[in-house]
Amino acid sequence: MKRSGALVASIGVTALVLVGCSPGEGSTAVEVTVAPSGLPVQGETLTYDPNRLVNDGEVISLDWWLWDGDEVFQAFADAYTELHPNVEISIVNQPWDDYWTKLPLALRDGSGPALFNIHNSHHDNLIGYLEPYDLPLDALAADYLGVDAHLVDGQVHYLDYGLMTGLVYYNADMWARAGLTEDDHPATWDELREVAQRLTVRDGDRLTQAGFSFNSLFREFSLGLPYQEGQHLFAADMVTPDLDNPTMLSVVERFLDLYEVDQVGSKDFGPVADESFGQGQTAMIYTWGHFYGSLLEDYPDIDFGTFRTPVPDTGEEPYAYDRYNGESTTGINAGASAEEIAVAQDFVRFSLTHADLMRDLCLHYSVLPMYTALADDPAIAAHPVLSALGDVDRYIWPGPLPAAFESSVDVMWEDILYNGVEPAAALATAQQTVEREIAHDGFVSRENHYAAYPAER
Amino acid sequence: MIARKAGAVLLHATLLGLGLLTVAPFVWMALSAFKTNAEINSLDQTLLPREWTIENFVNLQETFDILRLFSNSVLLSVTITSIVVYTSALAGFVLVKYEFRGRTAIFAFVLGTMMIPWAVTIIPRYTMFVAVGLQDSYLSLVIPAALSGFGIFMMRQSMGAVPDEVLEAARLDGASETYVFHRIVLPMSVNAISALSIFQFLWVWEDYLWPYLMINSPEKQVLAVGLTTFSGRYGTDYGGLFAATTLSIIPVIVVYVIFQRRFVAGAASAAVKG
Amino acid sequence: MTTIAPSGVPADTAPRRTRRRLHRGERSLRTTVVLLVVGFNAVLLVYPVVSALRGSFHRWNPLNGTYDPIGFENYATLFTDPVFWRTALNTVVFGTVVITLRVAVGLALACAIFARVTRWKTFFRTIFYLPTVTPLVAVAYVWKLAYHPQIGAVDTVLGLDINWLYDSTFALPAIMVMTVWKDFGYAVILFLAGLYAIPEETLEASVVDGCSPAQRFRFITLPLLAPMTVFVVVTSVIAYLQAYVQILVMTGGGPGRSTNLISFLIYEEAFVKYNFGYASAIAFVLFFCTALMTVVSFRLAGGRSLLKAAR
Repeated sequence: MKRSGALVASIGVTALVLVGCSPGEGSTAVEVTVAPSGLPVQGETLTYDPNRLVNDGEVISLDWWLWDGDEVFQAFADAYTELHPNVEISIVNQPWDDYWTKLPLALRDGSGPALFNIHNSHHDNLIGYLEPYDLPLDALAADYLGVDAHLVDGQVHYLDYGLMTGLVYYNADMWARAGLTEDDHPATWDELREVAQRLTVRDGDRLTQAGFSFNSLFREFSLGLPYQEGQHLFAADMVTPDLDNPTMLSVVERFLDLYEVDQVGSKDFGPVADESFGQGQTAMIYTWGHFYGSLLEDYPDIDFGTFRTPVPDTGEEPYAYDRYNGESTTGINAGASAEEIAVAQDFVRFSLTHADLMRDLCLHYSVLPMYTALADDPAIAAHPVLSALGDVDRYIWPGPLPAAFESSVDVMWEDILYNGVEPAAALATAQQTVEREIAHDGFVSRENHYAAYPAER
Repeated sequence: MIARKAGAVLLHATLLGLGLLTVAPFVWMALSAFKTNAEINSLDQTLLPREWTIENFVNLQETFDILRLFSNSVLLSVTITSIVVYTSALAGFVLVKYEFRGRTAIFAFVLGTMMIPWAVTIIPRYTMFVAVGLQDSYLSLVIPAALSGFGIFMMRQSMGAVPDEVLEAARLDGASETYVFHRIVLPMSVNAISALSIFQFLWVWEDYLWPYLMINSPEKQVLAVGLTTFSGRYGTDYGGLFAATTLSIIPVIVVYVIFQRRFVAGAASAAVKG
Repeated sequence: MTTIAPSGVPADTAPRRTRRRLHRGERSLRTTVVLLVVGFNAVLLVYPVVSALRGSFHRWNPLNGTYDPIGFENYATLFTDPVFWRTALNTVVFGTVVITLRVAVGLALACAIFARVTRWKTFFRTIFYLPTVTPLVAVAYVWKLAYHPQIGAVDTVLGLDINWLYDSTFALPAIMVMTVWKDFGYAVILFLAGLYAIPEETLEASVVDGCSPAQRFRFITLPLLAPMTVFVVVTSVIAYLQAYVQILVMTGGGPGRSTNLISFLIYEEAFVKYNFGYASAIAFVLFFCTALMTVVSFRLAGGRSLLKAAR
């Protein structure tokens, strides 16, 4: 007992020493007595004047939670704290799933961060905790597209900095090896099937390179492509979900055919298509713009290209190319202290008027900027994803889609591919699940705000 | 006699074979930790790395601050284990050596608590801890773990074996009950304490959901949660994951090897009557 | 080293139900423990259980402040939801198979290590306990990769081409194999402990009586191990009805719903969808089943001796 006790104690002491020795996280902020001067005012209509003291120059520390992109967001924090050294902004980066488990609970219990990034699919859970932006709305609307869509009781709590949607990524080396050139970018789904066949490689019967894979990436295309044929995700009443329809079924079957008829991929080859693409085993995938950043970061060895989502018929403009979603600006915690909120407001204004950082952010996430100052930006125009998207007006937004849509579509596809469920039956189940799960949400679709939305439906 | 020998050889061969099967995943994991990510991701796999690298371990400290998480977990596991062993021993002693009204009811109640799934209590408990402001503090992890039904049960069973004469002899010499407990009963229960220590250390070490919900600051996080965060954020860095997992296993193995001599004898008290 | 007294202490030392003088310090020690046990459990178990029970009769989303009484609606939804029944079935299959294998493998290996002819006992004990002492979260990730159809070790070693975690036939078994591997060491150690506690004389006597090893196992070892078996089974039932980490890490309940387990369903409803009321309702059904199964296990194995054992 004595010996064991001594051992336990020594382990404990070692642990304490280790903890004590770890790098401390002492604040880097220092008190400031003299306001900055002579710095240029930034912004277009909405402006930010850095030549004054924030929080009376006293030291203050803000937490900023996010689930991704800590480096691009760190740049905003660094630029701001350089202007105002009395402010410290600590970024806490947590994976997506963790983030959405913990953030709403933390906000509710008053222990949440002063600043936190928002995804609009969680709009309902967050809106009650958001401090409205303290900004002149006219000026904001002059500089940012789509501000109106974010008005809640005449106030803006967050807005979109960019528009994200889907497109096809291809492995450039495989593309060249198959004898394909840039002229071969498929414009229609039929053309994509042909290209995919040329990109498929087998060793005997064993697939060694998939021409196209959509494993685990079901939700993006399933909830976007029906729009190409004029099929909405909601019935005309804007509240009843409409997943179980012939157009959706044809989209499902088109993708199934890629595996079953064309055999350009397999449900068992690379169970997660974007990973398989990164591992250099899959030639083409369809996913959203954010994958661009992951590719650069996680798979720097992959040389890739992009092209716009194919459409059903050549030469015919689809009703919409795809669904898009807005990437939201940072939220301010209404439960934070008055001082924190004041600094957070100042920081938000600073961020929204900083064109260079905004551009970097949009480039990083491959989103079309909503900041009009960046409309003709050469770097945006040269970006491989953004240049591929084409006309912004041909993308439709159903609103901040409840998470039930995405999770039900995932289950539906797994049932079809792996559990042998008939597509029609799986669609019917998905329809029922979504109906039940959003029954108490009060969600209203924004599809009818789309420019080409039919007058009579 | 020959048949006997053959039997013994066969027995050892089977045990060795199963032992090999048991450690195989560890071997694969440890060896993979020395592979480059390109090799881990490639279509043809070999057991031994074609090109040895320690990059995965080196990067780990930078991206993940594994040392910090590691020491947090060790500190927490040791603290909680010590508390649980002490409270369990004390309660076990009282419940088996003292006769009083309600004793059986309390013991049955303690046994009953073992059956309550975490899922039932976790939501109100979460609300409760946050309401009193214990979020992001280690107290929130220590308090709910301080008393263990399993521990009390185990210590009670084992302390039944301590002969009453020994206690009586000490009492006749004028020893108080606290003296009897600390100086006589505790040392005599060292096997059960070892066993409980191993079980409890392990449970704290791998506990995931509660620390995940309660702790927000990355610098306070525990290793089990850190590992999931790691795979959430660097999900594609398999080499790093292998390295982190390999490292996370070491301390529990150390604790096990320290206590294992007494472990088996102690584990008996879990169910075999004293 | 104290060993566990095999046959109980002499009867005359057992406390009697007679009035006797309290020992010095007994009352304070006793009061401390009773207050500790009662107070701790009242605050950390009884109160949460009662509020969860109340919550299960409400539409309850603490985030937007919803707490509307809806009577038995959560329970009604639950029992008419095919997802719940599928999940319940998965849980039963998972629990039965894993517990059976854990007990069988554990018992067999414990006997093998215990056998007189076996050498390197400590070595085997350590090896077989190794998976048990590793954090589940960590090994679940490692196994997930091992099951990868293209780059995983399992297919490479076995020369197969199976998409283990995505194939509805293999996904649940694959997770069960991982779980058995992770946990059988616990049973080995406990059974070994039980075997060591069997008095030497009992076994020797059987040899003298000419029992074959098989007879000895069937009629002497096995009955003497009964309390330990009950203990292993009961703790396993409690543990496996609550298993969810391997699901969270390895499949997320998929493909479709084919590996969804009850506790994972609760986790998802509560902490992903914030349906706290519905999650509480499922949790109570689980609680009821755990209690039922525990009692049944006790009864089946005559485990009442456990409660009265220590004297």
